[in-house]
Amino acid sequence: MPLEALGAAGLPIAVGLPAAAGLPFESVYLRSIVAVSLYVSVTAVVLSTVVSLPIAVALGFSDFPGRRFLAAVITTGMGFPSVVVGLLVLFAVSNQGPLGTFDLVFTREAMIVSQFVLATPPITAISLAAIGGVGTDVRDAARVLGGTKVDVALVTLKEARYGIATAILAGFGRAISEVGSVLIVGGNIAGSDGVSKTRTLTTAIQLEARQGRYDTALVLGAVLVVLVLIVNAVVVRIGDEGVMQ
Amino acid sequence: MILRAVDVSVAFEGEPVLDGLSLGVETGEVVAVIGPSGVGKTTLLRVLALSTRPDEGTMEVDGVDAWAADEAERLALRRRIGMVFQEASLFDASVARNVEYGLRVRRPWRDRLGEGLRSLGRSEEPAAAVREALAVVGMGDELDQPAQSLSGGEAQRVSFARALAYEPDVLLLDEPTSDLDPRNTAVIEDAVGEARDRGIGVVVATHDMHQAERVADRVGVLLGSDLVEVGPTATVFGDPSDGRTRKFISGELVY
Repeated sequence: MPLEALGAAGLPIAVGLPAAAGLPFESVYLRSIVAVSLYVSVTAVVLSTVVSLPIAVALGFSDFPGRRFLAAVITTGMGFPSVVVGLLVLFAVSNQGPLGTFDLVFTREAMIVSQFVLATPPITAISLAAIGGVGTDVRDAARVLGGTKVDVALVTLKEARYGIATAILAGFGRAISEVGSVLIVGGNIAGSDGVSKTRTLTTAIQLEARQGRYDTALVLGAVLVVLVLIVNAVVVRIGDEGVMQ
Repeated sequence: MILRAVDVSVAFEGEPVLDGLSLGVETGEVVAVIGPSGVGKTTLLRVLALSTRPDEGTMEVDGVDAWAADEAERLALRRRIGMVFQEASLFDASVARNVEYGLRVRRPWRDRLGEGLRSLGRSEEPAAAVREALAVVGMGDELDQPAQSLSGGEAQRVSFARALAYEPDVLLLDEPTSDLDPRNTAVIEDAVGEARDRGIGVVVATHDMHQAERVADRVGVLLGSDLVEVGPTATVFGDPSDGRTRKFISGELVY
């Protein structure tokens, strides 16, 4: 979804809160920060899911030398420090880096890259565990009932849907709540008109708290928690409906 | 013979499980494979289901060598066979969705995607074949039940209906009633008779000799990785030609 569309979508909490509660900031400030946060994290998690699920399925359905090592590397990636990821992404997008030609330093796209790197290991590892937890009897049943390899994989994904929903939530939680990498690659920039360019909820909270504006920081924190709760509810509902089959 | 194993051998880690074994089933015939637990009945059924490739020998479906065929052709042959496992192995979905599975995977992807989109947010009316298959096992009123809420016996009956719904030419049953009470066992055995009446060839692997006697037209006795005797049910149980069969039937330890 384009950033402008997110901002224009209303975000009633963000719009209504400052005026109603008499808080010391403009609604456009909060609205643009929420929009940047959602744009960056949702895009990163969608891209991570698109990459992670096929990897998890491939690993879950195959047995080759080094498979366990690969799974262990992915699991280890779950604990990779976000500031280090930010630093590496900053190097990658800097002028001398391999992505230097795209001029991504202090852009939302660079933030998406760093959150993608952070969200992919948990989504892959937890999805892999969920797929591995589906009984071989269920796969066998799908196969002997006439299913192709794709059908068997789809049945397995369907059976593992709650675990996969958890994986996506874990990835989203890691992406939207991390502050280190987006601060490094995004720069926490807001325009003179108060509109966020690369400022997210987390980097804004960090800035507001450091400057002693605790009321603003608290409201931003509450908005962040509400956002995570809403996304949780939506993802669990999707898993429940079995849309993935 | 609609389905035939010819001189098939399967070994696991060097140990022979099936050794040069041959068995076939005609349309509208029930063949029981009896033998003690762990003798290789499940492996034999997996070979018959084209799920396990034998190390040696051939598997024929309607005269076509299944393992000499290409993958697409083998899938088409495999789709003429249904199998019910010892465990019901139902999917985490409604009874109707489970029973519909075999029909669904046989439809082209375009139709399936269209159906999937149309059914978003509302339940589709199950196909007549689904209702009919569930009626055979007395589960016609349980269409919308979640599979996970069923008892073991009900789940196995649904599992049977799931394999029957797409009208296979051959139905393979691996110890289908070993965990069931007498009532559910009777339902499954009646359903085996119904399948035979529909012209389906049925192979039942069971350690229950009385069940074999009740449902089968022919019986194969699997002992020590080979079928030591195959013949009409009355002959195998009444006047077996092999000494090991005689001992097994009389309850003596022969393995």
